Amino acid sequence: MSLKRIRSLIIDDDPFIHNLLRDKLQQHIPQVEVVATANSGEEGLQAIEHFKPEVIFLDVEMPDMTGFEMLQKLNAIPFQIIFITSYRHYAIKAIRFNALDYLTKPIDLGELKNAIKRCRAKLGNASENNPLKQALINLKTKNAADQTLILHTQEGSLHIQLSQIIRIEGERNYSRIYLVNQKKKIASKTLKDLEEILDDKGFFRCHKSHLINARHILAYPTRYSLMLSDQTLIPVARRKREAFRDWHDRMVDNPVKTLTQ
Amino acid sequence: MDIKWNTSLLDLKNLIGISRGDPDQILKYLEQFQKLIPPRLAQLQQGLGKKDREMIRKIVHQMSPQLQFFGIEGIGTTITRLEFEYETLPMEELEDLVKHLIINLESALLEIVRIIRTYFK
Repeated sequence: MSLKRIRSLIIDDDPFIHNLLRDKLQQHIPQVEVVATANSGEEGLQAIEHFKPEVIFLDVEMPDMTGFEMLQKLNAIPFQIIFITSYRHYAIKAIRFNALDYLTKPIDLGELKNAIKRCRAKLGNASENNPLKQALINLKTKNAADQTLILHTQEGSLHIQLSQIIRIEGERNYSRIYLVNQKKKIASKTLKDLEEILDDKGFFRCHKSHLINARHILAYPTRYSLMLSDQTLIPVARRKREAFRDWHDRMVDNPVKTLTQ
Repeated sequence: MDIKWNTSLLDLKNLIGISRGDPDQILKYLEQFQKLIPPRLAQLQQGLGKKDREMIRKIVHQMSPQLQFFGIEGIGTTITRLEFEYETLPMEELEDLVKHLIINLESALLEIVRIIRTYFK
């Protein structure tokens, strides 16, 4: 069975990435046709208007604007986005927080194939762009507590406002997310994954199995444990005590409001 | 194209992989390196002259994928530090790192020019 052709656009200020991505697509995923390339956000906007691509490979950092800023200039986003970034770029956290597709430079073939596979599944389904819409809302939301974490589960996307999360408990390859009103969700991410995307949003890993939300700390009765708003008592690991105390003092003095996305 | 590449600074396995031995493809990437790197080196010199940390980071960030692709020996740590410690590095150390990068990239450029001359012209 032949797969439907997909029209794609590459927006990146590095001509080397244009070449590399185009060649990798031609060689390994020829159904994805590169209809145009653009060197900046401004050129990208014009190319979107002119070529009406179905998938856009979008550089996170360009000289005239970021990829997110470019998307915010559009009235509608009737295409799928695959961000392109370097592995340790500051934006990677925002991309992962919002469960968006991305490739790291220089392009890894396995990552590329998986991203295209996910895009193909989403094409033609407008609601599948919800994570991107939510990401753009999150970027404008200054208060971390009001931001929405997006996680992919087998049942679909899970959207959880950060203020609703009391704590997260790790269990090998998945995590249990405890919410207000005694609700609970399961995410197929490790506690380490979640720690990485939440540690600048008022969350702290106080124990190998526990990530807690500063907004829900009721009391810090002993050096060994803390009480959360759902009345659970969570241990603070011996080697985390000092770091926890420093973090807790900072949170009390200066609660997290502004976020760097 | 089956060439025993004689390189000391470059690791061309990514280039050989993407080009699948097609000489036109190999040449395309080599010439692109030859074209893109000199102006970026000039920009780095400018950034150094102005002591402009952000400008230096941006140029290094932009070059980094291509440099990784060509597997240039001895600059990995330098690139990482310039990209991620650019705000906090003492200026003298930052300047040393940029100079180290420039020297290595000039040598890499010479190697690319030699490869083009030897195998393609």
